Amino acid sequence: MSAGVPALLVMHADLSAALLRAAEQVTGPIEGVETISNTGLSRADLEKEISKHVERWPQGGLVLTDFWGGSCHLCGASAARGRGEVVVVTGLNLPTLIDYLHNRDRYPVLELAERLQKKGQESIRLQRGVAA
Amino acid sequence: MSWILHRVDDRLIHGQVVIAYGARLQPRRIWVADDAAASSPWERSLLLSAAPGVEVHVVTLAEAAAAYAAEAAAPGGAFLLVRDLSAALALVEAGAPLEALNLGGLHYAPGKTKVNEYIYLDERDRAAARALLERGVVLDVQDVPASRAQSLRALIPELSAT
Repeated sequence: MSAGVPALLVMHADLSAALLRAAEQVTGPIEGVETISNTGLSRADLEKEISKHVERWPQGGLVLTDFWGGSCHLCGASAARGRGEVVVVTGLNLPTLIDYLHNRDRYPVLELAERLQKKGQESIRLQRGVAA
Repeated sequence: MSWILHRVDDRLIHGQVVIAYGARLQPRRIWVADDAAASSPWERSLLLSAAPGVEVHVVTLAEAAAAYAAEAAAPGGAFLLVRDLSAALALVEAGAPLEALNLGGLHYAPGKTKVNEYIYLDERDRAAARALLERGVVLDVQDVPASRAQSLRALIPELSAT
C-alpha cells in the first residue's frame, strides 16, 4: 500500500495503536501512519507531540482522533492551526481508517477528509434480529 | 442548583469533563476561568465549540469571580474549570467563595513530583494548595466520577503542617 496523504492517529489510552493493529489484520502491513496516546500528557505537551508530526507535512495531512471535545481533538486543532492543509477528523473508527488506507493516494487532503467524514457516518448501521 | 462541579484540570474542557462528569451531572453551563484562554480568540473559539449542547463561557479569573454569585442563583447546573491550583486560589482571593475543588488532572512537567497517576505538583502548586486548605477549601483528587475521591490532605500530610 503506497503512502499518500499522511496521517497521525491521536487517541485515548492504547486506542491508536490498537486500531492500527486491527486495520493491519484486515489490510496487511501498514506504513506511513503514526500513533500517539494522550495518556499522562498535559494539553501543552500533547499539542507539542502532535506538532512534531504535522510540521513534517509540507503538503498537509490528517490528524485522526477519537471524539469531538476531547483533548486529542482540541490539541490536534491547536497543532493544525495556521496549517490550512492539516485537517482534524474526529470519531474515527475501523471502517473509516481502512477507507483512509485505501484512498490516501487517490484524493487531496480536504477531499479525503470529507470522504472520511461521510464514510464514518455511513459505517454506523443497525442489524436487527429477525423473529424466528 | 447552579454550581455542581469546581474542577482543577490543566486540560480544561476535555473528555473526562464533557463525557464522564457531563453524563453524570448534566450541566447546563461550563465556565472556563482562565486568563490565557479568555485573552486568545483562537482558544476561546476552540473551547466554545468543545461541548456541544452545553453553554460554554470562557472568562478571566476576575470575570469569573464577579459572575460567581449570579451563576450560583441561576437555574440548571454549572461546572467551573480552572487550569491549576494557583488560579483556584486567585479566584478565591478575588471573592469567589469556593467550598470544594475536584483535582482532576495536573499532568507531569519538569519540577513537578507525582502524587498519583494524574496529579503532579511543584512547590508553587503546593503553596497554593496549602493556602486553599487554610481557607477551608476541601481539595479532593478524583479524575472521573467512577473512581474513588481521595483527600489531597490525606495524600500529602505535610500540606497540613504549620
